[in-house]
Amino acid sequence: MTIKDKLIFIIMLACIAGLMLAGTTFIIWEQSSFRSNMARVLSTRAAILAENCKSSLAFQDAKDAENILRALHVDPSLMSGTIFDDKNECFAAYYRDSSAIKVIPIEFKKTIVIFNSDSLVISSPIVLDDAIIGTICLQSDLSFLHESTKRGIQIMAAVIFLSSLAVFSVSSRLQKVISGPILSLAEVAKTVSEEKDYSARAIKRSSDEVGSLIDAFNEMLEQIQHRDFELVDAKGKLEVRVEKRTAELTTANEQLTREVAERKKAEQRQAQLLEQLEKINKELNDFAYVISHDLKAPLRGIKTLTEWITTDYADKLDENGKEQMNLLERRVDRMHNLIDGVLQYSRVGRVKEDMVQINLNELIPEVIDSLAPPENISITIETKLPTIKYEQTRIMQVFQNLLSNAIKYMDKPQGQIKIGCIEENGFWKFSVADNGPGIEEKYFEKIFQMFQTLAPRDESESTGVGLTVVKKIIEMYKGSVWVESEVGNGSTFFFTLPKQKKGVKNAKLQANIVS
Amino acid sequence: MKIRAYNLIVLALVLFMAAIAPKAWADSTQTLEYQVKAAFIYNFIKFVDWPKEKVTDSNTPLTIGIIGQDPFKDAFGPLQEKEIKDRKVIIQRFEGFVELEKSGKKKKDQPHPKSQDIQKCHLLFICPSESERIADIIASVKDHSVLTVGEAKDFIESGGVINFIVEEQKVRFEINTAAAERAKLKIRSNLLRLAKRIVRENAVKKTRGRIILEVRES
Repeated sequence: MTIKDKLIFIIMLACIAGLMLAGTTFIIWEQSSFRSNMARVLSTRAAILAENCKSSLAFQDAKDAENILRALHVDPSLMSGTIFDDKNECFAAYYRDSSAIKVIPIEFKKTIVIFNSDSLVISSPIVLDDAIIGTICLQSDLSFLHESTKRGIQIMAAVIFLSSLAVFSVSSRLQKVISGPILSLAEVAKTVSEEKDYSARAIKRSSDEVGSLIDAFNEMLEQIQHRDFELVDAKGKLEVRVEKRTAELTTANEQLTREVAERKKAEQRQAQLLEQLEKINKELNDFAYVISHDLKAPLRGIKTLTEWITTDYADKLDENGKEQMNLLERRVDRMHNLIDGVLQYSRVGRVKEDMVQINLNELIPEVIDSLAPPENISITIETKLPTIKYEQTRIMQVFQNLLSNAIKYMDKPQGQIKIGCIEENGFWKFSVADNGPGIEEKYFEKIFQMFQTLAPRDESESTGVGLTVVKKIIEMYKGSVWVESEVGNGSTFFFTLPKQKKGVKNAKLQANIVS
Repeated sequence: MKIRAYNLIVLALVLFMAAIAPKAWADSTQTLEYQVKAAFIYNFIKFVDWPKEKVTDSNTPLTIGIIGQDPFKDAFGPLQEKEIKDRKVIIQRFEGFVELEKSGKKKKDQPHPKSQDIQKCHLLFICPSESERIADIIASVKDHSVLTVGEAKDFIESGGVINFIVEEQKVRFEINTAAAERAKLKIRSNLLRLAKRIVRENAVKKTRGRIILEVRES
């Protein structure tokens, strides 16, 4: 349905609805006025007849009354007129048609109007000297009324039909006033959307709402045109920029490819180096083991010989000789320890042991017993220790080394060594704290290096291997070891071991995060 | 024997009935006729207007006089309760001229001993027994606005206003409009319309000749 048709339809609908309403109202009004008029006329007629008939009734002259009633034939709508006496018996009657129409005798004190579906009955009393001596009933046909209703509807239908034609012809001309501008606007809009021609403009013909719509449309078109131009411009710029950026990217990509190739090469080289290094390291390890092992035999010989000389030649050696022999023995011992340490170090990682459940609460007292600390040093376990699953010998070595160091370097008359353990980020964090001499901060790293000892060699006979072994063991287990210390107030060695309940793989991961 | 006796009784009864029935029937028709006439007389009053001087006081009752031998018997009985034109109705009976003269109570030239009461009546019914003296009776109440009603053959020719007749076993009436005019009575058209005959005549006494101006047969 086009806007043209809609406009015509709406106008016609409104006109027809108005006409129908008016027509219906008119017909209803006419009907009701017709009815009331009819009732009034009939009542008047009945009253006149009653007046005329009262003497006839008084003197029982039915013929006279019938003569009077006969005058009713003038009005063809009257079906019957009947006079009843005071006993409600028919006194005189008139019938329009030969067939008698039954009328109910109605005796009332006043005029009665009864509208039936097809007839109107009026009853009026006949009064003589204040006494009701009878009743007159008139019955009128309502077919005239129905006829007039029918005619009214016919006329209304005809009027509506003719007016519809008139309204159609008028509205189909006048609708152009409204639809014209809108249609031309639609035309322009179609052109714009189909041909993308934003330079098109709608022509304004009136200054009403449609006019302002056209204005707004034109303004919109102008804006779109402007935007379109900007868009084209921006597109051009963008293309240039994209080209430039593409070139840059290509260059960068080439560079990247080059870099990746280089890195790959470097990695290969690194892997090669690592392989070499491992090989060398292994060789070194084997070498250290072999050397240590092989060195131990002649050393044991030297020591035995020294003992023999000391016992056998005790009386032949002077004090100086004895002293030097003693020194020799001690140096041999130190040499032995040193070789032991190196052997121990090289054995870490090389010799595999079974992982067993180690209850530290049992293991550590054993370690302390084996160290036999002097009486002025007390070793206490401060917290309840966990049960861990590791190689027992290694764990023993760790505690042995740390505790023996603490005992060895203790300079206080009342030595205190405390062992503790806490759980931290999936690791067991152990601590061995002493109140010994403490270590200067600059040595914190150095002490974990091979053969580094802070005390003079001759004083402590230390080999400088213990902490290196500790570090090697802990790092093998993906843990870490460090020292916190204050000179004069003792030092605390910490080391961490991953909790293994969650699986080795997970522990490794966590170890990586920590390190 | 029993049967014969029974038959006899039945026969006697039949004979008796046959003997009395016509009289009873005649009596009853006559009674009915006068009942209708009494009702008519009442209705005449409703359709006739008296001059003002005759109906001064609204409380005075309307008087119906009956002169002569009263044929109505108790026909007025059921009507007497009713009021006409908001007035009570009184029935007064007067001895007729004929009776008085027969019994010697009054000589022929003398007026009626109760002539004043008669003149006061609004309606005077002159019984058939006075048919010979109608003119005299009418003359005695002239100028007193009395509606004279009779049932004699030449009643209206004698100057009476309304005369009853019986036609096809129905009671009808005739009216002398000139007499009514003389008595200053106004008879309504409703009543005139129903009259079987309307007579307009003048100077009944003077000429004895009757001028019938209009005769209407309905």
